[in-house]
Amino acid sequence: MTSIDAAAAVDEQAPPAIQPWWSRLMRDPIALFATAVLLAIIICAIAAPLISPHDPFATSRAVMKPPIWNAGGSWDHILGTDGQGRDMLSRLFYGTRLTLIIGVVSVGLGGTFGSFIGLLAAFYPKLEPWVMRLVDVMLSFPAILLGLALVAVLGSGVTPVVIALAIASIPDTARIARSIAVSVMKQEFIEAGRAVGLSDIALFTRYLLRNCISSIMIFMSLRFGQIILIGAALSFLGLGARPPTAELGMMASQGRDFLLFAPHIAVIPSVMIFIIVLATNVLGDALRDVLDPRLRS
Amino acid sequence: MTTATLPTSAAEARGKQSVPFLEVQDLEVEFHVSGTVQRAVQGVSFTLDRGRTLGVVGESGCGKSVTSLSIMRLVPQPPGRYAGGRILLEGKDLLQVPEAEMRALRGGRIGMIFQEPMTSLNPVYTCGAQIRESLSVHSGLSRAAARDRAVELLDLVGLPSPKQRADDYPHQLSGGQRQRVMIALALANDPDLLIADEPTTALDVTIQAQILDLMGDLRERTGAAVMLVTHDLGVVAQTCDDVVVMYAGRVVERAPTKSLFADPQHPYTIGLMAAVPRIDAAIGRLATIPGAVPPPWKRITGCRFASRCPLATEQCRTEDPPLRELSPGHGVACWRAPIETVMS
Repeated sequence: MTSIDAAAAVDEQAPPAIQPWWSRLMRDPIALFATAVLLAIIICAIAAPLISPHDPFATSRAVMKPPIWNAGGSWDHILGTDGQGRDMLSRLFYGTRLTLIIGVVSVGLGGTFGSFIGLLAAFYPKLEPWVMRLVDVMLSFPAILLGLALVAVLGSGVTPVVIALAIASIPDTARIARSIAVSVMKQEFIEAGRAVGLSDIALFTRYLLRNCISSIMIFMSLRFGQIILIGAALSFLGLGARPPTAELGMMASQGRDFLLFAPHIAVIPSVMIFIIVLATNVLGDALRDVLDPRLRS
Repeated sequence: MTTATLPTSAAEARGKQSVPFLEVQDLEVEFHVSGTVQRAVQGVSFTLDRGRTLGVVGESGCGKSVTSLSIMRLVPQPPGRYAGGRILLEGKDLLQVPEAEMRALRGGRIGMIFQEPMTSLNPVYTCGAQIRESLSVHSGLSRAAARDRAVELLDLVGLPSPKQRADDYPHQLSGGQRQRVMIALALANDPDLLIADEPTTALDVTIQAQILDLMGDLRERTGAAVMLVTHDLGVVAQTCDDVVVMYAGRVVERAPTKSLFADPQHPYTIGLMAAVPRIDAAIGRLATIPGAVPPPWKRITGCRFASRCPLATEQCRTEDPPLRELSPGHGVACWRAPIETVMS
């Protein structure tokens, strides 16, 4: 066995360890910036009750006051006030908070369920036609229409919007999860896992899910931006949160009435939506570049 | 194989009294693909005893991998279907046992080594974790015991510094190292039957020799039966006691290794041997077998090899030759056998 040992020692040299993904992510300045922006927004949203200068629901006679950078602005209302004299900055914090919650909950619920059925379809090919036809049906149904129908049944509010958005994110995640999982299922280690005598549950969770999860998470982070947009659109149409709750889409919708005299009321929440969506998309792209082994040069 | 006679003959003596350890009888496996039926394995039979190594040879698509997957009952259904035959492990038909029992056999009494060491290990777990997983499924060892046993196994298969390697992820290892881990995984629960599906095909020649030596060592140490699927006749000559030659889903020749290499009887086997480059032969073009394996959906009357066979007669084209025994242990499915003159 001596010759074998000698040769084995030669092929012992393992390739150098790859740097962890977060350190590679942080070397990309744009991704770093997007992360910082998102973190700042999330902190503001969480700390909204602490950092808001005013009660976001308290009306006053100082209506449509311009933001600080316009003539007539004051430090008391940095972003001015809306049509009912409510402090825009405070409403922005609270609105961001609600918008983020709606986005996270609906993408979380819909994405989890969607990826589960997508993985299931790949794991049990017999289920595949049924699951994927169901997904096609769901895909052909616009989220806005679904939202309208749910509001008609449940009444307007945050819950029907979350349900509608969750259902809207099922088909996309299911398809993506299935296509990722199909390529994983073709790999020999799945068969090797079977040959070791693993149960289906162990094979599904430890072999399939664990190998798909990072790609699915990236897709969900990209999806998050779209869901926030659809959610804002539903609120804009008056289907979401009921006044006086602050929600970015609803704030933009309410500002529409004052667009000519006080454009900031509509513009500020819209810019916030824009920043959130852009930051999540940039971050999602960067994450994909870093985590996807096929794009790793 | 004179060095291994002691355990072998003991096993043989036991085997002769009772049923053979593994017996495949008239195995038929079909694949139903878009309306066509592809008969991947047609009436394959062979036996394998403890302590013996059986080589299964043939070119790509001849059904040798499907045969080995069938023993594990891992042919995907659908599109695959076991259309007939039996696979008897100590007399028990593996095609009939309930799934839970089959699962206990896989990785327990039957270990399998796959062809592609680069993709056969789960990339998200360490090598040690994968071995421990198999141990906990089958042996119910405690965590600490499984940890020790995993390191012991990695040591057994000749991985240097096994303790560190147990905490490495597959992508940190080279191809040869990964194949050693695969072998350790297959051996984790002391299987009685080791199925190796082209275990050395993806490795370079020096590592191939090491892996084959390792498998030979382990067989002698554990007394397991080994089924070695390969298309490399050199590997067969070196390691196997008996050989089954497959062609287009059939066994065309079945013989002890010595007898097969000394006196090949089927024109296909003869052609295969002529196609092997020899170090002592004059330099020239290598012999080839004209034509290609018939596609599996094609219905063929007569001998499957007839279209490529230089000795084919009218009978070969119309009647399917059965496997018949020419000398003890040496069976061939050819109307023209015994062939006296060796083809050039």
